[in-house]
Amino acid sequence: MSKPNVIFQIVRRGGSLFSLIKKLWQHPKGRVGLILVSLLVLTAVLAPVLAPYDPYDVTQRAAKGLRPSLQHPLGTSITTGQDILSMLIYGSRVSLMIGVSTGIAIAFLGALMGVMAGYIGGFADSLIMRVVDVLLVIPTLPLIIVLTNLLGRSYFVIILVFVAFGWTGLARVIRSMVLVLKNSNYVKAAELAGASRWYIMTKHILPGTSHLIIMNTTLTCAGIMVAEAGLSFLGLGDPTAISWGKMLAEAQGGGALLFGAWWWILAPGAGIFLAVFSFMRIGIVMEEVFNPRMKASSGIYKLFKHLNNRYLDEVFRSMDDEGDPVTSEGSDTPPPPLSGGGHD
Amino acid sequence: MKRSYVIKRILYAIFIFFIVLTLNFFIPRIGVRDPAERYYPPQGAMSEIEYEIIQQFTREQYGFDVSTFQQYLRYLRGLARFDLGTSLRPGSPKVTELIGQRLPWTLVLSVSTLLISLVIGLLFGTLAAWRRGRWQDTMLLNASTISVALPAFFIALMLSFYLGFKLELFPAYTNPNMVAQFDWSWEAITVVFNNAALPIMSMTLGGIVGYSQTTRNSVIAVTNEDFVITAHAKGLSHRTVLYKHILRNAMLPLATSIGMSISGLIGGAIIIERVFNWQGMGTLFLEANSTNDYPLMMGIMLFLSAFAILANLVTELFYVILDPRVTVGDRR
Repeated sequence: MSKPNVIFQIVRRGGSLFSLIKKLWQHPKGRVGLILVSLLVLTAVLAPVLAPYDPYDVTQRAAKGLRPSLQHPLGTSITTGQDILSMLIYGSRVSLMIGVSTGIAIAFLGALMGVMAGYIGGFADSLIMRVVDVLLVIPTLPLIIVLTNLLGRSYFVIILVFVAFGWTGLARVIRSMVLVLKNSNYVKAAELAGASRWYIMTKHILPGTSHLIIMNTTLTCAGIMVAEAGLSFLGLGDPTAISWGKMLAEAQGGGALLFGAWWWILAPGAGIFLAVFSFMRIGIVMEEVFNPRMKASSGIYKLFKHLNNRYLDEVFRSMDDEGDPVTSEGSDTPPPPLSGGGHD
Repeated sequence: MKRSYVIKRILYAIFIFFIVLTLNFFIPRIGVRDPAERYYPPQGAMSEIEYEIIQQFTREQYGFDVSTFQQYLRYLRGLARFDLGTSLRPGSPKVTELIGQRLPWTLVLSVSTLLISLVIGLLFGTLAAWRRGRWQDTMLLNASTISVALPAFFIALMLSFYLGFKLELFPAYTNPNMVAQFDWSWEAITVVFNNAALPIMSMTLGGIVGYSQTTRNSVIAVTNEDFVITAHAKGLSHRTVLYKHILRNAMLPLATSIGMSISGLIGGAIIIERVFNWQGMGTLFLEANSTNDYPLMMGIMLFLSAFAILANLVTELFYVILDPRVTVGDRR
């Protein structure tokens, strides 16, 4: 089975991507998230059209430290007189690009590792879980700082490092899910019918985890956006691009706090907040849609507070300790596929 | 049975630590064959002999003058004596010494953050679980989303702006003389906590929400257990059931998250320390980063990893001792 087919399977399971979006749209919170995310995407794509000034163009810079006015809706910076609104609009490109591409890459790597660990088991499982254990104890932010220092401060490297250390959480979730699916009747039937391991993995196991993968991806995107903002704030992002974290760092370094230029701090902060918030909203609503039992609950969003979601450790520990992952789910049935158990 | 499990966990922790310290040794060597070539390329009118001397000196300074395997052995031998190597700073201070100087200042932040957010989080979490589905619970849910979406360093900037510069309640920027003038007198301690107020505040906001969420979830999980239903059926008062049966058992997951968050707090304080220029481990790490001081950076990393491994081990053992339901097996 080729790769596009796998993606197709993930999205298609029990309904199309369209029906997923429709479900999100029908949910009041999900609608807010969808609107915000589409606005964000539009802003990022149309940045050169929307931005009143070109933030990279040094010849257009206005008077320094202007308060918000009609000419400059969010004012200008104190140090260089750059238009804040234009910077804000251009900054959305970085956040979105890094967040989404890292999220998708993590989805692939995490799903692959999780399925391998869960389905193949044995040596592959213990190897992957040892790697996860090691990655969990190494402090993430310092390690990312060291690696960007060594490999260069381009966005490619930053994404690479985020992916290399961000997949552990998803792999653990998927692994436990696969352990449940592995013992289900339809997988056993496929095995008896002589299906190959690869076939079962891509055709039966992976689609069964698709809802988890999609949900986790939106939450990972949100988490990565916060992490990227932090990295840029420390001056460790790509030095050539305008990003929200870098704007905040420039604002602090340029004396925005001292001279009371609140617009210079609030704008990028609001940008980060809205972007992360909308992605998280979608993730949380997805959780409710996919798993109505867990409605209004569960703090799954807490998982992505850190790159490695540590809360899951507790979940896993309790699952492993109780010996049977199924019982801790409180149900014998595998979780509903994408279309099942919709939110009413 | 239990003893063999404990020994297994300890051996596993040592195994993980060994892998981490090996990685720690090899990470700075990614793409760096020869530090002399990387950091000191020949410049201007430099004679060959001069350059040779500079190369020689740089290699010695970075410890690259012997083969990689010998360097590794040297590194292990140093670690056995709790020696994390020598910093490249002027005066070549020991890495352990530098960490020792800065660790207490980071602990001031992280321990107070931990205590404050733990106490408040426990209260809120229990309240939210007790009033499940009511407005208290919904508020916590919304607060969780907001606290993740608002990065701690942005909160720190806003606090520094309003409470520091506008209202002048607390120092917006750490007093640079605080560390040098510290002498355990009552005034010095007041100064420290006055300066620490804003960093602690910006870190606790996230922590409170995190612990509330953990508490809430584990209290709800315990509330559905059979022994709680039994306790209610015996006719015990709500208060007794809450304190004696629910909270006591709900503490276990919380203990786990404390163990894990301690190391996270120390490492995660990097950005907050930068905002307020707090002279802790975070700023030490960033200083090391900006000067390519790899021995110091890797020393801090190893220290934090060791701390995390130890914290995980202790909570794991704690769990086994405290929770009789934990079946002792060695899967995972």
